[in-house]
Amino acid sequence: MTELSDELLVAYVDGQLARKQTRAVEKVLAQDDVIARRVDALKDAHSRLEAAFEAILAGEEAEVAVKLGPQRPGIFIAWGTPAKIALAGAGLAAALVLAMAGYGWPLVMPELARHPSGATDPDYVGSLPPSWQEEAARAQALLSRASLEVALESQGNQDLIAFQLAQTIGPSVKLPDLRPQGFRFVRAQLLRSGEEPLAQLLYLGTSGAPIALYARKGGGSGAPVFKQYGAIGSVAWSQDGIAYLLAGEGDEASLMRLAQRIEQEKQAPAPSPHDAESQEAPRATGSVTPPYSPLPKPLTQPAPAP
Amino acid sequence: MQAEEFHDSIRPGLIAMLPRLKRFAGLMVGARREGTALLGRALQRMLAEQHRYQRGTALDRWAFAELYRHWLNELRGHADPMGQAKTDDASFERLFDQEGSAEVDGLTAGFLGNLPPQQRLTLLLVYGERFDHIDAGRVLDVPADTIGARLVRISAALADRLSSRVLAPSGATIENLYPEGPSKGLP
Repeated sequence: MTELSDELLVAYVDGQLARKQTRAVEKVLAQDDVIARRVDALKDAHSRLEAAFEAILAGEEAEVAVKLGPQRPGIFIAWGTPAKIALAGAGLAAALVLAMAGYGWPLVMPELARHPSGATDPDYVGSLPPSWQEEAARAQALLSRASLEVALESQGNQDLIAFQLAQTIGPSVKLPDLRPQGFRFVRAQLLRSGEEPLAQLLYLGTSGAPIALYARKGGGSGAPVFKQYGAIGSVAWSQDGIAYLLAGEGDEASLMRLAQRIEQEKQAPAPSPHDAESQEAPRATGSVTPPYSPLPKPLTQPAPAP
Repeated sequence: MQAEEFHDSIRPGLIAMLPRLKRFAGLMVGARREGTALLGRALQRMLAEQHRYQRGTALDRWAFAELYRHWLNELRGHADPMGQAKTDDASFERLFDQEGSAEVDGLTAGFLGNLPPQQRLTLLLVYGERFDHIDAGRVLDVPADTIGARLVRISAALADRLSSRVLAPSGATIENLYPEGPSKGLP
């Protein structure tokens, strides 16, 4: 019997030998059953190990694919006018705020959650910081066709906006007047959260970034809860079947005050379609609309500021 | 995967190799959930210190080495590092029990589970990742010769186990396997 070391045979099985050595080993294998059986066992071991590693990888790949989910086909919109571009740009920016404030960062690193016995870092969120491209792509998913269908020139008409929001989100949705708190209403638009419409109302203070009030159906009733997402603070609550989220760069105290103010504000009944149309009509016939119009007096008496 | 990216663009590369990193971490720790959590912590660190990644270095080799180093550092922080490195059989088997993964025989899974983590990783890097011995040695911070020696030792041990299973399926039949006596024809 020829003596061949396991070292040589493993190298042979792994394909690490030079051609000449390989031929020599094969010559021995043809003549020695014992060595041949040993090589067979080593090959079996090799292939079992490879199969085991492949199996784990296949499982991980399948799971990553599931966690990331199928890619949305996206929306193609013909950008016809500068006004539309501006509105969509505002939507993207505001949706970024929403992504940070209400829905967390993109789940690009599935299941990298903090292990209970692992990290003690309270800021650990279990995902990689996203690139701006991912942030933009996520924000894009919040835009719907309806986001562009509210014309800029109608943004000054609170009654029309209230009507549209009531139609889409629900009759009890609020369109709060925050001027007593130092924030003027700038514009509203409809985004989408999955298949659900999501209203976004944007307000500006005398300085700094805008704050946004988001509203969507559902949620029952729940007291305001503050949560910080990076630089963005947010307060979430539910009222009369509408879930709200107030998001901005303010501190906890100021955002909570604003949220409570909104929560306490009585909802103004939405005007009828006729009222809304009648107010919109003059613009369609060419009447002058100021570029920015603070909230006009609502049809009903506003609730007194607390 | 050869990394051509600059150090400031390692993130997409890391994301692309997430399943491979998860496999590495799971086999290293011996449990899927803990491996994934460890990977999360290591990735945070890699990104925070990505300036240490040098252009031209293969990203996968760098990432595996960083992950391995991170694990060692965490182990050193424990009062009982050897205890932390022990593998629980049930947790280890769950590495193979995922949706989408092919069935793995219990013998191989059990064999892998009983190996020390460094030996499992040696097998993974060479047989699973197709690294050569030099690169595998760089990841695990050992000479290439050590990688080769480990492979021989582990492969021979598994081959022995497979051979003994074939030759001795049960005590009742072992005498019939060698009608001419076990000394003949055996090394």
